[in-house]
Amino acid sequence: MNDSVIVLSIASAIVAGTPILLAALGEIITERSGVMNLGVEGMMLVGAVAAFWCGVHTGSLTLALLVGGLAGAGLSLIHAVLAITLRVNQTVAGLSLVIVGSGLSAFLGSVGSSPLLEAPNGVDVSPLLPDWMADLPLVGPILFGHDVVVYIAIAAVAFAARVLYHSAFGLSLRAVGEDPAAADAAGLHVVRMRYLATTIGGFCAGIGGAYLVLAVLGTWQSGLTAGAGWIAVALVILAGWRPWLALIGAYTFGALRGLGFTLQIAQVDIPSDFLTMIPFITAYVVVVAVSASPTRARRVAAPAALGEPYRREQR
Amino acid sequence: MDSPAHPVSLQVKDLRKSFYGVPAVDGVGFDVVGGEIHGLLGENGAGKSTLCSMLAGLYRPDSGSIVLDGDTVQLRSPDDAAARGIGMVYQHFRLVDSFTVAENIVLGDAAAFGRKARRGVEERVEQLAAEYGLEVHPSAPVWQLSVGERQRVEILKQLFRGARILILDEPTAVLAPHESDRLFEAVRLMVATGHAVVLVSHKMQEILGHTDRVTVLRAGRNAGEGVTNSLTTAGLATMMFGSTYTGASDDEPRALHTPGDDVLAVNGLQVTGDHGRTAVDSVSFSVRRGEIVGVAGVSGNGQRELHEAIAGLRSSTEGSVTIDGHDCSKLGPKQRHAAGLAYIPEDRLGTGLAPGLPIEHNMVLRSFSRRPHSRAGWLSSAAIAKTSARLVRDFDVRGARDGMPVSFMSGGNLQKAILARELTEHHEVLVAAAPTRGLDLAAAEAVRNHLHRERDSGRGVLLFSEDLAEVLDLSDVVLVMFKGRVVGSFARPDVDIEQIGLLMTGAATDEPTSAT
Amino acid sequence: MSGIPALFDRVVVTPRAQPSVSLRAGVPLLSLLAALAVGAVILVATGADPFEAYRTMFDASLNGSAAIERTLTYATPLILTGLAAAVAFRMRTYNIGAEGQLFMGAIAGSWLALALPEDLPAPLMLTAMLLGGALAGVLWAGFAAVPKAFLGTDEIITTLMLNFVALAFMNYLIFGSMSFWRDPSRPVPQGKQIPDSAVLPAISGRLHLGFAIAVVLAVLIWLLLRSSTFGFRIRTIGDSHRAARYAGIGVPVATLAVMSISGALAGVAGAIEVSGVTNRLDPKALAIELGYTGIVIAAVARLHPLGVVPVAVLLAAITTAGGSMQSIGVQVEVVVLLQGLIFLSVTAGEFFVTNRIGLRPGVVAAEGSGL
Repeated sequence: MNDSVIVLSIASAIVAGTPILLAALGEIITERSGVMNLGVEGMMLVGAVAAFWCGVHTGSLTLALLVGGLAGAGLSLIHAVLAITLRVNQTVAGLSLVIVGSGLSAFLGSVGSSPLLEAPNGVDVSPLLPDWMADLPLVGPILFGHDVVVYIAIAAVAFAARVLYHSAFGLSLRAVGEDPAAADAAGLHVVRMRYLATTIGGFCAGIGGAYLVLAVLGTWQSGLTAGAGWIAVALVILAGWRPWLALIGAYTFGALRGLGFTLQIAQVDIPSDFLTMIPFITAYVVVVAVSASPTRARRVAAPAALGEPYRREQR
Repeated sequence: MDSPAHPVSLQVKDLRKSFYGVPAVDGVGFDVVGGEIHGLLGENGAGKSTLCSMLAGLYRPDSGSIVLDGDTVQLRSPDDAAARGIGMVYQHFRLVDSFTVAENIVLGDAAAFGRKARRGVEERVEQLAAEYGLEVHPSAPVWQLSVGERQRVEILKQLFRGARILILDEPTAVLAPHESDRLFEAVRLMVATGHAVVLVSHKMQEILGHTDRVTVLRAGRNAGEGVTNSLTTAGLATMMFGSTYTGASDDEPRALHTPGDDVLAVNGLQVTGDHGRTAVDSVSFSVRRGEIVGVAGVSGNGQRELHEAIAGLRSSTEGSVTIDGHDCSKLGPKQRHAAGLAYIPEDRLGTGLAPGLPIEHNMVLRSFSRRPHSRAGWLSSAAIAKTSARLVRDFDVRGARDGMPVSFMSGGNLQKAILARELTEHHEVLVAAAPTRGLDLAAAEAVRNHLHRERDSGRGVLLFSEDLAEVLDLSDVVLVMFKGRVVGSFARPDVDIEQIGLLMTGAATDEPTSAT
Repeated sequence: MSGIPALFDRVVVTPRAQPSVSLRAGVPLLSLLAALAVGAVILVATGADPFEAYRTMFDASLNGSAAIERTLTYATPLILTGLAAAVAFRMRTYNIGAEGQLFMGAIAGSWLALALPEDLPAPLMLTAMLLGGALAGVLWAGFAAVPKAFLGTDEIITTLMLNFVALAFMNYLIFGSMSFWRDPSRPVPQGKQIPDSAVLPAISGRLHLGFAIAVVLAVLIWLLLRSSTFGFRIRTIGDSHRAARYAGIGVPVATLAVMSISGALAGVAGAIEVSGVTNRLDPKALAIELGYTGIVIAAVARLHPLGVVPVAVLLAAITTAGGSMQSIGVQVEVVVLLQGLIFLSVTAGEFFVTNRIGLRPGVVAAEGSGL
């Protein structure tokens, strides 16, 4: 039963969706503070290359994830300086981050005699929970058969949702994203909060990239995210800036990305290029549908000051 | 916290602050102690708001000192100011609309958070509210509150955080008369419990009626001070405006006008607001040639939606707008302009003018696609420059330079630029929304003169203003708006100020009142 | 130790009313140099000699007529995608979709070249190809433009998603199926060769007529933005949507128009690449991020259509030099890295164009003050 197509597909969707989930969660935190960082794709790539390098050299998953996260955070710091301190157009700044990230990762991924081309044999991404749990019928592979990062990502969603709505930090973060002038007058440090949120977002995206290269793909290849970062950016809108909805969306996109595998087993003959298109077409259709919905859910949910730099001494 | 052991004291000495090299506050000093209300009087542009922002820790002074309880302090941030017991209630409220009252009150105060703590917060807020007569519902979202309620939240927030010195910046600017009375009752209770209150205002009567001592500001400097009881209106006016001041304009005889035909007719207009609720509810009225119709009301009662719908910037769901005999209900802003509507929007920079573009561009914003400014789709920069130069000269617009974005110009000159463009083009009726807001005395006076001139030349004027005194001063007919409806209509000379004040806050009956 | 925070406290940033021409041109230039300097540091860190690297780059792309021809040929699609981004960004419509619109233009252009009679006169054939490419670009951009204009759908997301769809579609035509575009006589997947009548004539050596077309289009776009009422509308919308509506400008119509122009430019770029360079629908040769590089170019040129031309040539020079870097032991990827650094550095430089940095107190120059 546990080898059935459906069970395996769902299990693989969760794994394939986890990098997108981590990146989207980070971007939700960033955007909630009013900063729009479109550079997710770039941060994921840099996180991936750094984590791969670290994984090859140390064999430690923890260390590799950490290094990947720090690399993503480092790149996001550039965005923070551009968007928050220098107050340049956030769209343009985010795009420049994507191009820097893909250039930097491609460059670093090809440096020297390239130990990077070797697979990270030592990195252990085996299932976290004991075998008897993973072998439980149906729920085993879907719920208990995953590596530690899948569970960390779910825990992070729960934690983020809790913090956003039920803590002083979350309230402050949302205030900074809704109305920075009011937050400033209330004594919150708008710039500091936004830097922090942007860096957290970069860290999450970096871990997402790290997980993608270490667990999902297993080997480094230039441009390996193939749009996953952009899917994450779209997902933030689709999820209405809410962590739990991002989780559902990310797993759905994971399933769409793994659709080829499923259909192959089901012996449905669809050209692989069309399978590649499916997540992107889905994201396109849903983004348009959300903006067409009469309730305008999107506009209500978006942080009111998203993308707007804050400047205090303004006259 | 309610009665400090020793009275709090604040001294401000020779404070200065410049923006872009232009001094806004240029050597101001005053002092206040617990148990008194100190008035800061000055016209718009005298430096009051900048002074307040420095006391709130929002702006850093260029020089001078702030002495709190005998110690010189540096107020590095609003947080810092709040921690030292200085609470600021801004003229434009600083509340997060999507948050509840309680969330706004605890914002920036981490200790007050947590689930258990939050229940305590609501209790404490209710207790403070009862103590000072500032009732609000702690769990209501702020965007649902009226202006008066929002102000109460701002004050409660400061009291909650233990403010000992409260600075109220133009607190009555947006309140109806009886709401103001209620505010001052609360202020007196605060003073009685040992707080020091700084009341910042440009209204002399308010300062004379509610303060213990006064400091007058003019052009960013101290222009006089004294104990309120010893001062007179004339004395204060001289300090405010200098010795050349010759009295307010409402003394001048009002010419008698016989209004003509309807030039703007609004019938059964229904408009949906930003929150999806009905913002303008079956509003009908007309403006005749040779008269100024003023719309009074506390802001947020549908005025903005109404003038935007008249101008064609917002669509109406029902009803009609007729401009000079043409039914414009289904037309866009351009066609309404062509039908004879001139419009001064509330939002000068951003709607009335494109902030990042130069004056030449803005002066032809309405007419760029017509001759002589363009031919067959191509602009004539010579003709545009000529028009712009003429309008700048005729309306005395200053501070404009070739290629410079208009956002660098002052509010008064921006308004003159809009007036120049709107009044030079053909028009039969002028809709002016908050045309004098934030302008200094001279600029505001210039705008009012333009409105008079419009009326005298036989056109119609529809004036929206939060400043009730201005509406009463200028209008031949006063309409009162409350919750999206016109709840009263008064024609000169039968204007009942008290009744208008009550109608503005819904205190009177729901039945539309008419003295016309 | 407290000196630095104290210094930060004294920094005053004031917006500049009118950045001078020298500032507007000089800052991007300085940013460019700064990016090259950072690139040099990275090269040193990886054990390469930056001077040798930059000299090799110069020799490979700008030294000698063959090198210049190669660079200008490579610059041709970049000028067009740079214009595509500049036009849209001027109105703050972020068409990131030049990449996909270019693919669609290439697909349509090559289809016409293969479907029309081979003996059609070259001018007719070429006109058909370029117009067909433009139309395909417009239609593909329309998938983002129509929702943007009428529903307010975020165009950044939609154009990007469409890029990935277009790429997969183009791959399908050559690698995934025996489509009309694929050469059936070859076992290895490859596009059919277009007839000679569909090949753009050369100007000099390898440089084809497409370069001249791109430069002419740059001048036309510049005139359109500067001196037409359409340009006036775009500038107004780009500055403030509300002011535009107040002025009676139809924002949805302008959005459709601008996205169409932008898509047409990218589509033409695709058709020109097929006609002048690849001579067949060749996904590997087309999917080299010409669209994304166009965004970098537009940003460095500060969205000025005439500025796009030299900037495109410069980035083309850096890119075409990539291959020669291998000979001195530097990876080709350094080229993408340099592009990214240039973009970043110019983006940051924008702050210094529009702001004046001073120290308080009293040293703030009075020039920025408007009365």
